[in-house]
Amino acid sequence: MKIIYLMTLLVLVIDGGRLQAQTNVSAMPKPTRATNAVTHISSVSAEFDLVARRAVYRSNVRVDDPQMKLTCEQLTADLPQSGGHVDHLVALTNVVMDSVDEKGQTNHATSDMAVYDYKVQNGVTNETITLTGNAMAETAQVILWGEPILYDRIKGTLTATNQHMIFKQNLTTALVNTNAPVAQTNLPVAKTNFPPGTIQNIDRMTVPSNTQ
Amino acid sequence: MKIKLNNTFLVLSAFMALNFIAATVRAQPNTTGHASDFSSVEYFEPPHQQLMKFRLSGAEAQPQAGGLLVINQFKLEMFNTNCTPGLIVKAPNCIYDTIHGVASSPGHLQLESADGSSHVEGDGFLWLQASHNLYISNNVQSVFVTASKGKTGS
Repeated sequence: MKIIYLMTLLVLVIDGGRLQAQTNVSAMPKPTRATNAVTHISSVSAEFDLVARRAVYRSNVRVDDPQMKLTCEQLTADLPQSGGHVDHLVALTNVVMDSVDEKGQTNHATSDMAVYDYKVQNGVTNETITLTGNAMAETAQVILWGEPILYDRIKGTLTATNQHMIFKQNLTTALVNTNAPVAQTNLPVAKTNFPPGTIQNIDRMTVPSNTQ
Repeated sequence: MKIKLNNTFLVLSAFMALNFIAATVRAQPNTTGHASDFSSVEYFEPPHQQLMKFRLSGAEAQPQAGGLLVINQFKLEMFNTNCTPGLIVKAPNCIYDTIHGVASSPGHLQLESADGSSHVEGDGFLWLQASHNLYISNNVQSVFVTASKGKTGS
């Protein structure tokens, strides 16, 4: 019984890992655009090429977007043409991104470099952020490392190459609600409600990066 | 009135001067003059040589020694090759080096797109006319307004 339970659990976790690795992870929020989206960028200093319409922000760079906040040490931005959309950003050094999804859950990502691209082709909008260099993305469910990590802002998905993932699911919390009240059992509150002697107090599981 | 100086045309419009002549953009200015409502224009290279590339203007200019101009209400307008205005730089005042083509100020500066969708502010700037590079030294704040394009994806 113990062995069957343990194997079932591992299969579920590893299989889940495969799915995460082979498909896009629906972990990040799909952006919901306001009528006019306002993006703020601040920094200590900046350089603007007024002909090429390119800006390089330096030192304590902060980007405040309706869907995301980003900080880094240098940010290169192609300034949009009249009424256009910022279509290319390159953030360098100590890149930190934070966003809150539709459920109010915080998503967090860090990397050495992040490249944002926005493009409309044949009426289809593509909006992606590619993280490279010690890239890590953390959602409410997983912590994901990869080289690179691709965040599709339209689909709200994360895709990682050479990925390494940690599931954050708290089995204790998840299973407590499905069983009888603690007061009616003989199990200590701090432990899980699994049958005694099976698996206790597991709240993290690492999926090897070679599960693809 | 336009005077060609190394691909740079200088237009002095409605200026009041005391021996201050417009052709001083690349030459030593008469330092006793004073000008108001002046502008300096540069045109694109061929085949767009008839189109303005940028226009530098000011409400008031006070010539200084060494080819310097102290400009009040400094304004730099960049134009696209389709004649539409592009970026506009404004500063309450600055010093313009007419010999080296450099404008600078420790004061406040605003950069905005002609349609108002982009706006940048900062303190302390340097503008290099030859490369059209603008450096802002401190407190850079940018705002970009983007119209909604819907939520679609491939």
